[in-house]
Amino acid sequence: MRALQGLRGPRAPSLPLLLLCFLAAVRRSLEDGLSTAAPFTSLPVQEEMMTEYSNLSLESHNLSVTAAPITSLPVKEEMMTKAAPITSLPVQEEMRTKAVPIISLPVQEEMTTKYSNLSLESHSISMTERPNMPVEKNITLERPSNVELTCQFTPSGNLNSVNVTWKKGDKLLEDNYLVNTTGSILYTQYRVAIINSKQMGSYSCFFGEKKQQRGTFNLKVPEINGKNKPLITYVGDTVVLICKCQDCLPLNWTWYSGNGSVQVPIGIPVNDKYVISGKHANETKLKITQLSEDDQGTYWCHAIFELGESEGHVELVVLSYLVPLKAFCAIAAEVVLLVAIILLFEMYTQKKKKPSDDGKEIEQGEQLKLDDSNGIENSGPRHRKNESVGQ
Amino acid sequence: MTTPKPTGPPDGGWGWVVAAAGFAVNGLSYGVLRSLGLAFPDFAEYFDRNAQETAWVSALALAVQQAASPVGSALSTRWGARPVVMVGGILTSLGFVFSAFAHSLLHLYLGLGVLAGSGWALVFAPALGTVSRYFSRRRVLAVGLALTGNGASSLLLAPALQLLLDNFGWRGSLLLLGAVTLHLTPCGALLRPLALPGDPLALPRSPLAALGLGLFRHRAFLVLTLGTALVGVGYFIPYVHLAPHALDRGLGGYGAVLVVAAAAVGDIGARLLCGWLADQGWVPLPRLLTVFGALTGLGLLAVGLVPVVGNEDSWGGPLLAAAGVYGLSAGSYAPLIFCVLPELVGIGNVVQATGLVMMLLSLGGLLGPPLSGFLRDETGDFTASFLTCGSFVLSGSFVYLGLPKALPSCRPASRPGTPPPEMGELLPVPQIALLSPGDPHSTLDTTC
Repeated sequence: MRALQGLRGPRAPSLPLLLLCFLAAVRRSLEDGLSTAAPFTSLPVQEEMMTEYSNLSLESHNLSVTAAPITSLPVKEEMMTKAAPITSLPVQEEMRTKAVPIISLPVQEEMTTKYSNLSLESHSISMTERPNMPVEKNITLERPSNVELTCQFTPSGNLNSVNVTWKKGDKLLEDNYLVNTTGSILYTQYRVAIINSKQMGSYSCFFGEKKQQRGTFNLKVPEINGKNKPLITYVGDTVVLICKCQDCLPLNWTWYSGNGSVQVPIGIPVNDKYVISGKHANETKLKITQLSEDDQGTYWCHAIFELGESEGHVELVVLSYLVPLKAFCAIAAEVVLLVAIILLFEMYTQKKKKPSDDGKEIEQGEQLKLDDSNGIENSGPRHRKNESVGQ
Repeated sequence: MTTPKPTGPPDGGWGWVVAAAGFAVNGLSYGVLRSLGLAFPDFAEYFDRNAQETAWVSALALAVQQAASPVGSALSTRWGARPVVMVGGILTSLGFVFSAFAHSLLHLYLGLGVLAGSGWALVFAPALGTVSRYFSRRRVLAVGLALTGNGASSLLLAPALQLLLDNFGWRGSLLLLGAVTLHLTPCGALLRPLALPGDPLALPRSPLAALGLGLFRHRAFLVLTLGTALVGVGYFIPYVHLAPHALDRGLGGYGAVLVVAAAAVGDIGARLLCGWLADQGWVPLPRLLTVFGALTGLGLLAVGLVPVVGNEDSWGGPLLAAAGVYGLSAGSYAPLIFCVLPELVGIGNVVQATGLVMMLLSLGGLLGPPLSGFLRDETGDFTASFLTCGSFVLSGSFVYLGLPKALPSCRPASRPGTPPPEMGELLPVPQIALLSPGDPHSTLDTTC
C-alpha cells in the first residue's frame, strides 16, 4: 500500500511539472535549436490528440533525487489547483493539451485511436551525479497499457550542457520523449504505449556524453511461482503440480515437461494421465496419475499474457516404495533384536541368580519372573543386588 | 507354592532403567504427536484440504489416547504392564504404516487418529504407573524425569522429521515414523513386573472391575478427580493459545517464539527440580500439588492480564515473565499429579488410577481449547480465555485442599526423610499381613 502511495506522490506534481517542463522545453528548443522537444503544434490539433489519448492509462515514471522546487512558482500553483489527480480524465485532457509528447502527427493519431482505452502506469527513478551509480527499476506489466517513464537527474554542473538520450536495449530512441528542467533538476519523460511483447524490455535514460548516468526501467510480465523444493512422490501415486501467480490473471496456461533443455508440451493429445485444471484464473494445476519413474523431472508451467510469457517450474521426484521400505525393515529388525536381547538378558540374569541364591528368589507360576532387590529405605545410589551376588 | 515376599519399591537399580523406558515412552508418544504437525502442510496440499481439517488428525489422536487410557491401565492390571506396552507399540506402528498408504484424509484419521491413538493409550498409563511403582523416595524425581521425554523428543524429532519429509515425502516419513514408534516395544520389554506390598492378591474378575472404577468410592480419589477435571480444562489451553496470544498482544513472530520457549523451558526444568524437591519430603505431596496448581492458575491469570506491548520488537517482558511462571508451575504440577496417587489409592492401584487421571485430563483437554477459542472470537482477544482457564485451574486447586495432608495438620509432621506412605491411608487397612521390616509405615494422620 505504501508503495502505491509513493507512486501517487510523484504523480501529483508531475502534471504541473509537465507544464513547466514543456514551457521550459519550448524555450530551450527555441534557444538551442534542440529538436527533441519540438514547439507546440497548433492547439486544435493538440486537443484532438488529447481527447484520443484521454483514456489511455498513464504510466509516468519519474526519476528524481531532490525534491523538485515545485511549490515556489506561482504559475505552478495555479496549475496545481487545476491539476486534479491523474485519475480524473477531463482535467488530464485539459492538462495534456498543453503538455503533449511531440511525435509526428499522423502516427500519433493512429496510436491514440487504438490505445485510448488502455490503463496508465507511471514510474519514476532518480539519479545523482555523485555517486555515479546506475539505477534500475523493475516494472511488472500484465496487460497493454500506456507507460510513462520519467528520469530525474541532479547534475553538479551546468544543467543545459547535459545531453539526454533514451535507449531501448541498445537501440537509440528518437522521439516520444521530452526534456525539461526545474531549478537545478533535469527531467526527462518517455511515453510509450505497450501493446505487444516486442515492446517489453529495458528502457534506459542517459544523461551526459562522456560520463554517462544511466537509469533503467525493466518492463516485465508478472512472475510465476512454482515450487522451490522438489515434490517427492511414489510409483503408482497421483500428484498435483500447482503454479500460481500473486495478482495476475493470465490469458492461458500451458504445461511442459522438461528433460534437459528440451521442453515437451503436456496434454497434447488429451489423455487420462494428465489433467490440467485450475479453480481460479491466477493458478493452474496439473494432475498426473499412475506415476512411474519416467515421470521424474522438471515440469514447466507457462502463463501467457498479451505482453509475453512467463514461466515457473516444479520439480518432481518419483521414488519406489523399496527406498523407505528397506530402511523400515532395517529398523524393525533392530527393534526385534533389542527385544530379544532384553528378554534374553533378563532370563540369563534370572538363571544366574537361581543357583547362587536360595530362599530369596521366588518363581511365580506365570512366566514373568520376579526381580528381587531390597526396597528398604537406603540412601545413596543403589546397585542391583544380583550383580553383586551373582558371579 | 511359596507365597511371594514383596519387599517394596527398589527405589533405584532397575528402577532407573524403567525410568529411562518411561522417558522413551513419553517421547515416542507425546513427542511424536507434537512433531506430527510438521507434516500437515504436505497432507493439506496432497489431499487438497484446509489446515483445520488436517489438524483434526492430531486432535483425534490425542483425544483417543487420553480417553482410552483407562483401557490401557485396565489391561495392564490384568496382564501386567509389559505385554500391554509391547502390544501398544506394535499397534501404534501399524497405525503409522497404514496411514503411509492413505488415499484420503479419512485414512489418516483412522490410521493416525484411531489406530496410533489406541496404541498410545495402551502405553502411556502403564509405563508411567510402573515408574511410580519402582520408586518411593525418589518417585517424583523419577516421574519428572520420565515426563521430560516429550520435550526432549520433540526437540530431536522436529528437525529429523523435516529431514525425512524433504527426502522421502510424507508417505516415506510416515512409514519410517512407524519404524521409530516400534521402539515402544523394547521399552515395554524393559518394564519388568514388580510385586509390591499393596498389590491386590486376586486379579480383577470382570473387565469393569479392572478399569478401577471402584477407586471412585474412596473420598480422596474422588476429590482428586474432581480437582483434576477442573484443572484439566485450563491446563492445556496454553499449549494451543499461548503463541496466538503473544502475537495478539503485539509481539512479533520471534517474540512469540520466545514466550513459548520460556514456558517450555520452565516446564521441563520444573519437572526435574520439583521432582527432586518433592522427594525430600519436606512438604507433603498433596500440599505441593495444591500450591503448584494454584500457582499455575495465577500464572494463567497473569498471562491473560498482561498489557498490550508497545512495539513489535520488544521482548515482551511482562508476558515473558508470566509465561515463565506458568511454565514453572505447570511443569511442577505434572509429576505431582501422578505421584500423589500411590498415597491416595495404594501402590497396587497406581496403574489404574493413572489411567483414570489421564482420562479426566483429556475431558478437560477436549473442552478447554474450544472454549478458549470461542471466548476469543466473542471478545476479540485472549484475555477472557486465559482468565477463564486460570480460574478453572484455581478452582481445581481449591478442590485439592480437600485432599488429606493438603492443609497443615494439627499433629506434628512425620519426620523428614520418611518415604511417602504407600499403603493408601484412606483405604481400609490392607489385607496384606506381611510387612517386611523397615517398610514405610502407613501414617494414619489426616487433617485434624
